[in-house]
Amino acid sequence: MKESASYKVFRVANVAFLLVVVFLTLFPFVTIVAQSFSSQVAITAGKVSVFPVGFNITTYKAVAGDPMFWRNYGNTVLYTVVATAISMVLTTMYAYVLSKHHLKGRRLLIGVAVFTMFFNGGLIPNYVLVNSLGLTNTMWAVVLPNAISVFNLLVMKSFFEGMPVELEEAAAIDGLNQFQTFIRVILPLSKAVIATMILFYAVANWNSWFQAFLYLDRSDLFPVTIYLRNLIAGTTGVQDVGASVDNQAQIAANIKAVTMVLTVLPILGVYPFVQKYFGSGVMLGSVKG
Amino acid sequence: MNTHISRRSLFGGLTGVALAGALAGCSKGGSSDGTVGKNQQKGAMDNYAADTQFKATEPLTITMLYSDHPNYPYKSDWLLWSEITKRSNVTLKPTTVPMSDYAQKRSLLVSAGNAPEIIAKTYPGQESAYVASGAVLAVSDYVDQMPNFSKFRDQYKLQPELETLKQSDGKYYLLPGMHEKLWPDYTLIFRTDLLEANGIPEPQTWDDVYTALKKLNDKAPGTYAMSDRYKGQCLLNLVATAYGTTAGSWGNQEYTQYVKGDDTFVLAATSDEYKSMVEYLSKLVSEKLLDPQSFTQLDDPAVAAFTTGKTVAICGNSQDPSAHRALMDKAIGKGKYKIAKIIQPAGPAGKVVGGTRLENGLMLSAKAKDSDNFGALLQFVDWLWYEGKAKEFTKWGVEGVTFKREGDKRVLEPSVGYQWMNPDAPKKLNADFGFSGGNFSYGGTVDLVHSMFDPEEQSWQQRMATERTQVPLPPAHPLTDSQREQATLLLTPLKDLVDQNTLKFITGQRPLSDWDAFQSELKGAGADKYMQIINTAYTTYKSKNK
Repeated sequence: MKESASYKVFRVANVAFLLVVVFLTLFPFVTIVAQSFSSQVAITAGKVSVFPVGFNITTYKAVAGDPMFWRNYGNTVLYTVVATAISMVLTTMYAYVLSKHHLKGRRLLIGVAVFTMFFNGGLIPNYVLVNSLGLTNTMWAVVLPNAISVFNLLVMKSFFEGMPVELEEAAAIDGLNQFQTFIRVILPLSKAVIATMILFYAVANWNSWFQAFLYLDRSDLFPVTIYLRNLIAGTTGVQDVGASVDNQAQIAANIKAVTMVLTVLPILGVYPFVQKYFGSGVMLGSVKG
Repeated sequence: MNTHISRRSLFGGLTGVALAGALAGCSKGGSSDGTVGKNQQKGAMDNYAADTQFKATEPLTITMLYSDHPNYPYKSDWLLWSEITKRSNVTLKPTTVPMSDYAQKRSLLVSAGNAPEIIAKTYPGQESAYVASGAVLAVSDYVDQMPNFSKFRDQYKLQPELETLKQSDGKYYLLPGMHEKLWPDYTLIFRTDLLEANGIPEPQTWDDVYTALKKLNDKAPGTYAMSDRYKGQCLLNLVATAYGTTAGSWGNQEYTQYVKGDDTFVLAATSDEYKSMVEYLSKLVSEKLLDPQSFTQLDDPAVAAFTTGKTVAICGNSQDPSAHRALMDKAIGKGKYKIAKIIQPAGPAGKVVGGTRLENGLMLSAKAKDSDNFGALLQFVDWLWYEGKAKEFTKWGVEGVTFKREGDKRVLEPSVGYQWMNPDAPKKLNADFGFSGGNFSYGGTVDLVHSMFDPEEQSWQQRMATERTQVPLPPAHPLTDSQREQATLLLTPLKDLVDQNTLKFITGQRPLSDWDAFQSELKGAGADKYMQIINTAYTTYKSKNK
């Protein structure tokens, strides 16, 4: 079909518009990356926009030269993997159960979950609880509390509700019990929503610092988020410093940019591979006709 | 949506901290009359006195909440820890908390009843939140058993300052760091080469500052001679002090001013002194000497303007000149400029310097007073934080290892560096040995506090000490809980009104002819009611403590 003149105009305008959107979205991040590699003089003079000015990796060196940084980075990876695994097991199973309308007490189970969206014990009772369970200063204090996100649970529940009942009836006729049906039939068909949930949980766990901060008292147990948070506080604080003044100014100038790049890097690496599920995953289950 | 405690519940949780603490912290506790029981003397010395080395009679372990600084992160093998144990027979067991969120974790642990015995790095005022809960010890009941603390207090007449820590029950809950002399830090940093080149002597008063800025501005008209950092709060604080009032968030948090003649407190913004201060600053802005953005911009652009030679003055502290020089060597060129801290300019209130001689200090957990080594704990704290040699030890380290004496001066060993001293040394006094860290080392005698300043700062401190006198502190007027609650409710909108209008008047957005209208706006916002609460608290306290 031949494109009409006005359609061509639309296409050009559309591409131009979307390019602007892409630029607006990317620019802040590109600037951050550029700043993380720029010299302090260029940064304070406001010369850095898209490309690094006065290439400098002092801050990267300072951060990466600290063994504690790598230790904490390792902790973050470990906590994220374990916490996401626990969350996924609990959430999928809970959601599957809730999706069965014939289940007795289903409303109560939903109520219990939703209740926690609006009310919780509060900071100190939570701390006292975790402490009296003997979880403080262990990984479990970070990965166990709040393992189920009610929001994710409800999304999954409605996804499972959208599955045809006939599938399970067929599975039952073929001799599968409830649990086998769930593992062999339902889960393989739910890859999209599972990938989405893994992404949700993993990103949240990767970025989280507050629980670790509350329940862990030893720096060798901290996730890297706390390490970087403290680093930023140190360079912006007024207290005396050990590093030479020159380095200190450099580090202070782009420590925030460096930490952003360092923390966002792994997520950035994983995202493209999960992203294809992402769009369909969130929408799935929301509308079924 | 994330799986973790949301920000909202975080803040909700923290405001609940004080309340929950009040519920959780009502433990029985031993005596509160300031005596230490006979069965609580485990490890304590019988003949402990001022200026003696504390050594526990049996090995003790004492827990401590420790604020971990990223520039010298906690290490368990620091010489500091082993030497403390060697000297005192006490093993300190720190709970390390990242400095970035120290206050939050402290609130949590105190309220949950899990606080270590020593809660370090607490600034005057921060302890008030825990008083109602009973979770921290009223240390004023026990200071008579702390000979070094008492000696320092009496020798340098610090009682009036300690009075300001008192809560409405007449006790204080913080063992503050104490300075022999006021330690001012912030002032204006000037391009002294430009002053000299134009035949301008170092400004001694704020009028001199005006003249100097004006002369330098005439040389390069069109730009502002000064563009300040700290959102103008440093400048406001300095000028307000010289004008005999208080202003801004660096000044008096209560926004009040004590009028000696009437023996009452007034809202600072209603005083004549405040008005003259505003007039002075607005003159600087209207004559294009001070960039109005000084009050809103971030620090970076202000520092950049100063270090690239676009402006000639900026607020700063003792560490700033060397930091600025590092930048200016690159931007302007070594030897092509000179900068220095000028003496704090004087004003209508005279050659005064504001501030308090109290520093951050420590709280003791209320639970500690039930423990069998309570007596030893008091002695240990008194020794490590207040005894002269111990203070030298936490600051300079061990003689012969980290520092040595040359005459009456202390110098670091060549292999040890700290700040300006031995900058190229392989080891750092704080990061590699644990000394001069913020949890232990603060306050003390002039001899000790000044011992680590570079020569430039030393001479500035010397001049401040001899050429300026300390503004007397306003008398103590502790609020009760209900008074504090009411006062906070009234003060929040008042603060906004004062801050906003102060800036509007200074930057010229509101003409000074509106000043009277501003005064009636303050009345309308409850200024009188607020001041009544403060003055009631003051008279009550006076009559109780005659």
